[in-house]
Amino acid sequence: MATISSAMSIMTGALDADQQALNVVANNVANANTPGYTQEVPTWQQSESVQIGGQTDGMGVTETGATSLRDRVLNERLDQQQQLASASGTRLSSLQTVQALFTPDSGTSSSTAGDIGSDLTSFFASFSSLEADPTNTSLRESVLSSAKTLSADISGAANSLNAQQLSIDQEASGITSQVNSLTTSIAQLNQQIETTSPNADAGTLEDQRQEDISQLSKLVGINQITTENNGLSITTTSGALLVAGANNYQLSNGMVDGVTHFFVASTATASGATSDGSSAGGTDITAGLTSGGGELGGYLTVRDQDIPNVLTSLDQLAYGVSTAINTANNAGTTISTGTVPTPNNIFSTPPTNVAGAAAAMSVVMTDPSLIAAAGAGDATGDDSNAVVMANLGNQAIINSSETPTNFYSTLVATLGSTVSQAQTENTAQSASVTQLQTQSDALSGVSLDDEASDMSTMERAYQSASQAFTILSNIMNSALNLGESTTVS
Amino acid sequence: MRVDPYYVANLANSLDQTQSASQQLTSELSSGVRVNSLSDDPVAAGQNVVLLNQIQQDDSFTQSSSLVSGQLQVADSALGSVVTQLTSAISLATSANNGTMNSSDVKSIANQISGILDEVQTLGNSVYQGQYIFSGAQTSQTPFSTSTATTPAVTSYNGDSDVNYLETPTGQNIQLNVPGNQIFLGSGSNSVFGALNSLVADYSSGTVDTAKAVSDTEALGTALNYVSQQRVTIDNSITQLTAATDSITSEQTQLTTAQTNLMQADVGQVSTSLSLSETQQTALEDVIAQLNSTSNSLFSKLQP
Repeated sequence: MATISSAMSIMTGALDADQQALNVVANNVANANTPGYTQEVPTWQQSESVQIGGQTDGMGVTETGATSLRDRVLNERLDQQQQLASASGTRLSSLQTVQALFTPDSGTSSSTAGDIGSDLTSFFASFSSLEADPTNTSLRESVLSSAKTLSADISGAANSLNAQQLSIDQEASGITSQVNSLTTSIAQLNQQIETTSPNADAGTLEDQRQEDISQLSKLVGINQITTENNGLSITTTSGALLVAGANNYQLSNGMVDGVTHFFVASTATASGATSDGSSAGGTDITAGLTSGGGELGGYLTVRDQDIPNVLTSLDQLAYGVSTAINTANNAGTTISTGTVPTPNNIFSTPPTNVAGAAAAMSVVMTDPSLIAAAGAGDATGDDSNAVVMANLGNQAIINSSETPTNFYSTLVATLGSTVSQAQTENTAQSASVTQLQTQSDALSGVSLDDEASDMSTMERAYQSASQAFTILSNIMNSALNLGESTTVS
Repeated sequence: MRVDPYYVANLANSLDQTQSASQQLTSELSSGVRVNSLSDDPVAAGQNVVLLNQIQQDDSFTQSSSLVSGQLQVADSALGSVVTQLTSAISLATSANNGTMNSSDVKSIANQISGILDEVQTLGNSVYQGQYIFSGAQTSQTPFSTSTATTPAVTSYNGDSDVNYLETPTGQNIQLNVPGNQIFLGSGSNSVFGALNSLVADYSSGTVDTAKAVSDTEALGTALNYVSQQRVTIDNSITQLTAATDSITSEQTQLTTAQTNLMQADVGQVSTSLSLSETQQTALEDVIAQLNSTSNSLFSKLQP
């Protein structure tokens, strides 16, 4: 049966519950700017009522803990967008460095040198000038100097691209250790969450885990799979397992053909690659990582696709021009009075498999009298071979299908389109990330206004409970004083 | 529906975007170029390469054509002088053939014609910028020399028959020279030196074999016409060169206009966009400042 003391104990319970709720509110306010923190709300539960002699009496309220407000689906969606935005952002900034090598020539007479398109034109035009006066030494010198400018700019661009590729390789390999520390931490959190709250939201532990996952998705594209007991498995976008429950599988770097490849271990404790690049029982997942998103995906796309495409085009350009000019020069007559070397080349001979032709392009001819402006078997004043060499600039000498100028024009247009496309993608994805982030924050972010009003409510509730306790205490006094002449106060 | 409590941070992101837009527009305005990097307009960047190539080719042709036209003018004036000399040689020979001259007069005519032959040989050995222009491709070899070992003397040619061409950007070939042997040592009665040497031999003894002298004089007349015809080739080249230079120059002007339109920034449009962007940026900054200055939560209103 309900008594005064049971009423008092209900009030005590209420005071405890209010105190705990105030604690939750204070925690929210303290963590308002902590990254990854989701706001918590106190959960109130009516205590189980007691039934004695056919009469049911309530037993008050308990506060059973704080519930974090999170939407797992929204978080996963946000992570997916973040890995796409991170990949396109990384790719974009690297591509902008690449395209800075090919700034469009503004065409004014005072425009700076360094544009390969105008170098090509000047080079072939120097042969046109030579047609008018084939034995003129200064015209011959200008042929050689425009050849040197052309080869310097092409080889300079190729060398810059190679250097950039190397630095991207280093950046990418630095990501491995960050990934490993995050997956280790996630695995540990998995274990803790599984043991402490397998069936309910794990509060701050889950906040930490979500934060780690969010960081990881910015680095490497991942898929998340929820497993039993509030556990989580994480794989890369292409399916390589990184975390399964309390186990994490380390990533490691290995050099293959001069570039860094990424290996994932197949057992939970071993490393995936040995230092010489062979897989120590691990799997090479580099190809999957390239298309998978995250910073690493962005870097690998630029390193393995975008830069090699430009390098290949430059190599083809260098190969085509060098080979055609060298062949033509060897088919004519020089004005040299000494011995003519065999072969009598203007440019260095490019490698037969074309790769590396751009970086190695240079002018080997030092004596301008070795330029064969005259035709084969003609006297020195003839200009027919100079005409031939000048016309090479308008013939399909690159890949047997394009003129040098058209080929270079296609090269810059393609590169520009790639960068422009990456820019568009990045803008769209960043906007999407912002929108999802806003939605997520609206749900999980701490609103100081809400906390202030909750705190006000708790304050009133506490005051009411303590007031009720005071009144009950007075009633107890009266009860104690029943039938007594002296008063206890 | 709850509101995102961090919306001020998103406003800061928008501020970044407006700032970068302003920067882009400012750099366009300061450089005057619309396409500062390939991604600004990839198609225009590709087109620009092709246009500049053509413009620069045209420019280089204009420069070398002025070099070449000097050479052609020299050749033309040399041949003009040759025609004058040959005309006076013909009138000398005609006067010797009419039978009214005595032996010493005839010998003096032989000397004069010999002098004309030397003059024509000197003209045939004309030089332009250190090179023989009537030598074919053997531009360092003196083309004509006369040997008096035989009677009549023989003028021989040391050059070759090579012809040089200048190719215009439109693919037209302009002939730059006519070989000396073609002009002065044509076959049979077209040979200038042959006719002159024969006439000298005819008159040097003092007695005139009239039939032979008349036929040699006719041969010299034929040779003179032949030289005039050869001169036409040079004149044609000069005409072609002038026409080609004119059309290439006007093509260059048109292409330059096209390239400028493609690449240059429209200053009016860029200035307008820039001022709009700056206005937007100022407005955004004010909004952020305003939001930050007002008390931003209920806590400041609660009385302790």
